[in-house]
Amino acid sequence: MTQRQRQIDPITFEVLRRSFEYTCERMSLVLQKASFSPIIYDMVDYSNAIFDPNVDLIGQTANCPVHIAAMHFSAHASIERFPIEELGPDDVIILNDPYNGGTHTPDVTMTMPIFYDGTLLGFAVSRAHWTDVGSGFDTHIAGEGLRLPPMMLYKEGKTNTDLINIIKNSSRTPQYVEGDIQAQLGALRAARDEFTRLADKYGADIVRQGMREVLDYTQQMTKEAISRIPDGVYEASDYVDSDGFTDDPVRLHVKLTVAGDRIGVDFTGSDPVAIGPINSPYANTASAAYYSLKFFLNPDAPPNAGMYRQVDLTIPENTWLNPRWPAPTLGCTTAASSKITAAIWMALSQAIPDRIVAPTCAECNWFVASSTDPATGELHVFTDLPAGGWGGTPTHDGMHVTMDPLGNCQNLPAEIAELLFPVRYNSYEMRTDSAGAGRYRGGAGVRLEVEFLGRGEIIWMECSRTREGSPGVNGGLHSARQRQLRKTRDGLLESIGGLADDGTWRPQMLGGIHFQPGESFVFESTGGGGWGDPLTRDPQLVAQDVRDDIVSKEQAYLLYGVVLTADLAVDQLATRARRAKARNES
Amino acid sequence: MLRVGIDVGGTFTDLFAWDARADGSARVRTAKVLTTPADPAIGVMNALSAAGIAPAEIGTIIHGTTIGTNALIERKYPEPVMVTTAGFRDTLEIGRQRRRHLYDPYQVKSRPLISRRNRLTVSEKLGSDGTTVKPLDRDEARRVAEHIASLGTKNVAIAFINSYVDGRHEREMREIVLEAIPDARIALSSETRPKIRELGRFVTTAIRAALFPVVGDYLTRLEGLLAAAGSNAPLFIVKSNGGMMRSATAKERPEELIESGPAGGVAAGSFLSNLLDTKSMIITDVGGTSFEACLMENGRGLVIDEYELEWEMPLITPMLDIRSIGAGGGSIAWIDQGGSLRVGPQSAGADPGPACYGRGGTRPTVTDANLVLGRLNTTLSGKFQLDYEAAAAAIRTIAEPLGLSILDCAEGIIEIVCENMAGAIRMVSTDRGRDPRDQTLVAFGGAGGLHAYTVARAAGINRILIPPFAGVACAFGATTMEVRHDLEATLYAPVENLDPNALTHSFTKLEQECCHLLEKDGITPEQITLERSALMRYIGQSYEVATPVPGGNLDTAAVAEIAAAFHREHKREYGVSSESFPVAFVTLRVTGYGQITKPEAGDLAAALGQGDRNETPSVKERRRVYFSGQKYEVDVHDAARLNTGQRIHGPAIIEQPDSEVVLPPDAFAQIDQYGNIIITGEEGVR
Repeated sequence: MTQRQRQIDPITFEVLRRSFEYTCERMSLVLQKASFSPIIYDMVDYSNAIFDPNVDLIGQTANCPVHIAAMHFSAHASIERFPIEELGPDDVIILNDPYNGGTHTPDVTMTMPIFYDGTLLGFAVSRAHWTDVGSGFDTHIAGEGLRLPPMMLYKEGKTNTDLINIIKNSSRTPQYVEGDIQAQLGALRAARDEFTRLADKYGADIVRQGMREVLDYTQQMTKEAISRIPDGVYEASDYVDSDGFTDDPVRLHVKLTVAGDRIGVDFTGSDPVAIGPINSPYANTASAAYYSLKFFLNPDAPPNAGMYRQVDLTIPENTWLNPRWPAPTLGCTTAASSKITAAIWMALSQAIPDRIVAPTCAECNWFVASSTDPATGELHVFTDLPAGGWGGTPTHDGMHVTMDPLGNCQNLPAEIAELLFPVRYNSYEMRTDSAGAGRYRGGAGVRLEVEFLGRGEIIWMECSRTREGSPGVNGGLHSARQRQLRKTRDGLLESIGGLADDGTWRPQMLGGIHFQPGESFVFESTGGGGWGDPLTRDPQLVAQDVRDDIVSKEQAYLLYGVVLTADLAVDQLATRARRAKARNES
Repeated sequence: MLRVGIDVGGTFTDLFAWDARADGSARVRTAKVLTTPADPAIGVMNALSAAGIAPAEIGTIIHGTTIGTNALIERKYPEPVMVTTAGFRDTLEIGRQRRRHLYDPYQVKSRPLISRRNRLTVSEKLGSDGTTVKPLDRDEARRVAEHIASLGTKNVAIAFINSYVDGRHEREMREIVLEAIPDARIALSSETRPKIRELGRFVTTAIRAALFPVVGDYLTRLEGLLAAAGSNAPLFIVKSNGGMMRSATAKERPEELIESGPAGGVAAGSFLSNLLDTKSMIITDVGGTSFEACLMENGRGLVIDEYELEWEMPLITPMLDIRSIGAGGGSIAWIDQGGSLRVGPQSAGADPGPACYGRGGTRPTVTDANLVLGRLNTTLSGKFQLDYEAAAAAIRTIAEPLGLSILDCAEGIIEIVCENMAGAIRMVSTDRGRDPRDQTLVAFGGAGGLHAYTVARAAGINRILIPPFAGVACAFGATTMEVRHDLEATLYAPVENLDPNALTHSFTKLEQECCHLLEKDGITPEQITLERSALMRYIGQSYEVATPVPGGNLDTAAVAEIAAAFHREHKREYGVSSESFPVAFVTLRVTGYGQITKPEAGDLAAALGQGDRNETPSVKERRRVYFSGQKYEVDVHDAARLNTGQRIHGPAIIEQPDSEVVLPPDAFAQIDQYGNIIITGEEGVR
C-alpha cells in the first residue's frame, strides 16, 4: 500500500487520474480519424501526451512505447527555444530534428501550451510518423531528409505558411502534409478542451495538484515493483546484424543494477557510433530503456515522469546509443529500440527467471517502397511493417505476428494496398517453423509477398535477426532467421539481404533495391524466442501445432522429441524414447 | 391482437405486450421470468404464460435474443471451415497485428473464430478493378471441397481477396463445394458485406457461417413451440441496427443479431423521443455488471460501420453505436497498486454477488455502497432482505486504508462508478462530436435510476428522463420497432471524376435489393421508406464518415451537395474539415424501413398513461439517506401512486417495481402525463 503524499481527496484523485488517461485517448482518436498519411491512419504510428507546467510527462497514449520518454525531450527542446513567457494560447511549435528534441526525422512533434484564466495548466504534445520527409538511406543525417529545429508552426493561431511550403517541397508525399498537420492540431485542441473542462469543474489548482499526485502514483508503483526484484547486477548483450554499410554486427551491452527500490541501466561497453543509420539519440535510448522495464515494473501505471525518478540511466557518449551530429539515426526507433528491449529482458531473465518472457522477434521490419503506375507513370510511395512473433511465457505460448513492444502499429491491408498503389499483395500468412521452440514456444512470424506492377523500389528497409533469429530463455531455443528475398518473374527466389541459405552475406538494412515490373519483394519475419526446454513441452500441444502447420512434423521430432503417427496423433512410446535419447545427447 | 415484445437477458426474460384496442387493464401486460439458459425458448414460452397471454391473442411477436452473441463469445458453435485466397489463410488470426495491452508481457490474443486447421486456401485472384489476375484453380478447389466433406462440416465461409468488387470467384467456389456437399450452408463474403478491407469482411463472413446452425436451430425450435401452442403469429427478431426482421430472414443473416438485446432499449428511446418531441437523447441501461450508452439523434440511434466483437475482430454490419463498460451494481471497489480507489470492471456477478446479498461475497460493490448510504431499499424491492452489516464491513476493508469513513468511502465508490459511466457517455457523444450538454439522459435498467442524477452531472447533462417501463425497456422497445435492412456496396470513386449516373445506378440497384428483402419480410411496397447514405472520406484517409444522400436521379449539382454535406459531417465528427481536400465515395448504403401494423404512438401512450387520479398520497415511508456526508430523512414515494404534474424536490426516493430513483438534495423531479419522471438540476431549468 502506498504512502503517496495527498493534498486532494482520493475520490477526486481517481477521477482526475482517469480524466488524464481519457484526454490522451481522445487526442489519439482525433488524430487517427482525421489524419491523411496511411502510416498514421492505417498503421497507428503516433503518440499523444500531456505535460504539467514543469514539462513533466503526465500521461500518454500510447500506441508507440518508443515515444514514451522521447516526447519529454521534444517538449523540453520546444520550451527551451520558445520560453513559456513568450508563448500564448494559440501557439504551436513543430520539430523533428534528431539532435534537437527528435529521434528520427519522420517523427514530427507538435507542442502546444494550455492556459486557463491566464495561468499555465500544462502542455499537449502530439507526435506522428509521417510517410515521408525526404528521408534517404545515408551515412550522414543530412541525407535523412528535412530536419526542423523547434519552430513556430502557428503563432497566435496564424499559420506559418512558408514553413508548410518548405515541408511540402521536401516530401515525396506533399499531398499528406497539410492533412496531417491539421489532424495533429485537432489532437492538441482536444487536450485543451479536456483540460479546460477539468479546470472548470475542479479549479486549475486542483488539476495541477492532481498532476503532481499522478506522478507520485506512478513512482510509488515503480518503487514497489523494483523492490520485488532481487538485488543484484544482471548483464546481457544483443546486436543489430549490421549498420547497412559494413558487414559487422553492432553490439550493445546492458548492465542492470537492482538495489532496493532503484534500478540502474548502464550501456557502457556498447559499440561506438555506427556508420549506417541505426544510431539511437539519447532520447530514443532512454525511451527504449523505460518502456522495456515497464513491462515488468508497472504495466498498468500511467506512463509518466514518475517512473523516471527510480531509474538511473548511464548512456556513454559517442556510442551508437548516444551519438552526436552528424550520425544518421533513421533506424533508431526500430532497429536499436527492439535490441535494447531484448537485451534488458535477457538480463532480467537472470533476476526473475520465473516471471520473464522470452524476447520477441525484436524487429518491426519497417520498409518504405515505391511503385510506378505502369499506365500513367505516376510514382506511388507506401510503407508497411510486417511483424514477427512474441516470446514464450512461463505459462503459455507467445503471440503470433504481433507488432514489437516498441510500437503497436497495424499492417497495411492487402485490399487497401491494391486499391491505392500499383502493387499486388500476394501473401500475408504465418510461417511454419519460424517460432523459437520451448516448453512454451514463441509465436510465429509472417511471410509477406508484394508484387510490383510497374518499376518498384525498396527505398528503405530496416531489419535484423537475419543471422540467427531471436534468443530463448531458460533453455528455450532461438527462432528462425529472417529472410529478405526477391521473387523473379519466373518464380525464383534470391536473397537480397542478410545471411543467404548459401552462407553469403549482404547488409540487411536495405536501400535503393530496385525491382522490375512483375517481380516481388518477399520478406519472412521470425517468431519469438522459446521459454524453457522444448523436450518438456506437452506432446499434445506439439501435435496441435503440427495439425495447424505452425510446427512441421520434422521439427516436432528434432526439437521437441515428439513422434507423431500418420494421422498426427502422439506416439507416446516412441516420444518417450526419442526424448530420453535427446536428453542424453545434450 | 397483442403486439408482444420479449427480451431474453442473461438473468431474466422480460415481456411487454399491449393492445391499443383492448379495455383498461387488458391493454398492457408485462412479465419477468427467469431465463432458461439451456434452451431460452422455454423461458420465452414461460413469459407468455406468466403474462397470461393465450397464443390466439398474439398478433405479432418481436423477440430480442443474445443467443448468437453468447455462442460467439463462448465459441460454442460447430466450427465452420473457411476457404480463402492462397496467401491469406491467417487474416482471421493475425488481425491487424496489434496487441490489446501495450505493456502486458503475458497477454494472449482471442482464440480465432475458426482455427487454423479449418482455414483452407485455393489459388485465385481478382484485381482491385475486378479483372481476373488468376482464375480459380478448379482442381484445387475440388480437392478442398473433398477435404471439407471428409471433415463432415456443413458450414462453410468463403472469403476471397478483392471480392468486394465482384463475387464471381466466390460463387464459383460455392458451386464446387455444393457438388461435394449438397446440403452445405455457405456464407460468401461478397454477399455478406461486400466492403473493402479484408479483415472485417472475413470476420463478418466467419460469424455468419458460425451462427447459421446456432441461430437457425434456435429459431426453428421456438417457431415449433409457438405453433404447437397454437400461435401462427409472425415472429420478428430484433436486429443490431435497431430494426427487426422476420425469423426466416434472421436465419439467413444471423450476424445481424449481435446487439439484438440492447437494441430494444434504443427502440424504446426512439419511441420516447418521438412521443415527447425530444430530439437528442442518450439512452443508458445499467444492470448488475454493465453500463450501456447509445446516443439518439432525431429519434434514431447513431450507427457505427464497424463493431469490435473482440480485439481485432471487426464486425462490419451497420450497428447501433452502443458502448458497454463494466460498471453496474455488482462492480467491485478495490485499491490498486498505486493506492487509488478503483471501481470495476470486475463484478461480483450474481454469485456470490454483493456482500449485502449474504451469499459469501466479501468484496465491496456499488450495491453495498448504495445500501450503506440508505439509497437502496433494504429488501431489494421485496426480493430478499439485504445485510447492512455485511455491506458496511466490506466497505470498511477499503475505507480504512484510504483514511476515509465508511460513508465517505461509499459515496466515493458511487462517484467513481458514475464518472466511469459518464466516460462511456463521452465515447458516444464527445468522441463523435456531439455535446452531452445538449442531451436528455434516459435511464433504463435495475440500477439506472439509482445513479442517473450523478452520472448526468458528471457528464454535464441537465435533464434526465426515467419512464415507467424502465425495468422492461428492451421488451417494450421491441414492440415499437419497424422492419429495417441496411444494404451496402463498395463504390470507390473520387468525387471529381464521378459519373452521377453510375452513382444513381448503384443506389437504385441497392434499393431494389432492399425492397426485395423487405417484401420477403412481409412489407408491401407502399409501406416502404428508403434512405440513402454514403460512407465518404478525404482521399488518403481510410476512415469514412456517413453522409446523407438525396433520393432520385443524382446529377452533378447533387454530387456537389453531397460533398458539401460530407465536409459538414466530417467537421462534426472529428472537429476538422477542409474543402480544398479531394473527397471520395467508398461505400454506398441504402436503409429500408417498413412497418406492418404501425403502432400509433398516441395509442401506446394512452395505454401507458396515468389512469384515474390517485387520491392516496404517494409517500409510503421515510428513510435515512446520506448525501455529501450529511444525513437526511427523506420521503420514499411509490411510483404507482404518482400523479401527472406532481413535483418532488430532492432529497427523495421514488420506488419503481424493479428499481429505485434517487433524487439528491439539489435535484427536482416532475411527473409528466405518461408517468415519466423528468429530473432537472433545479426547478425552472428547462
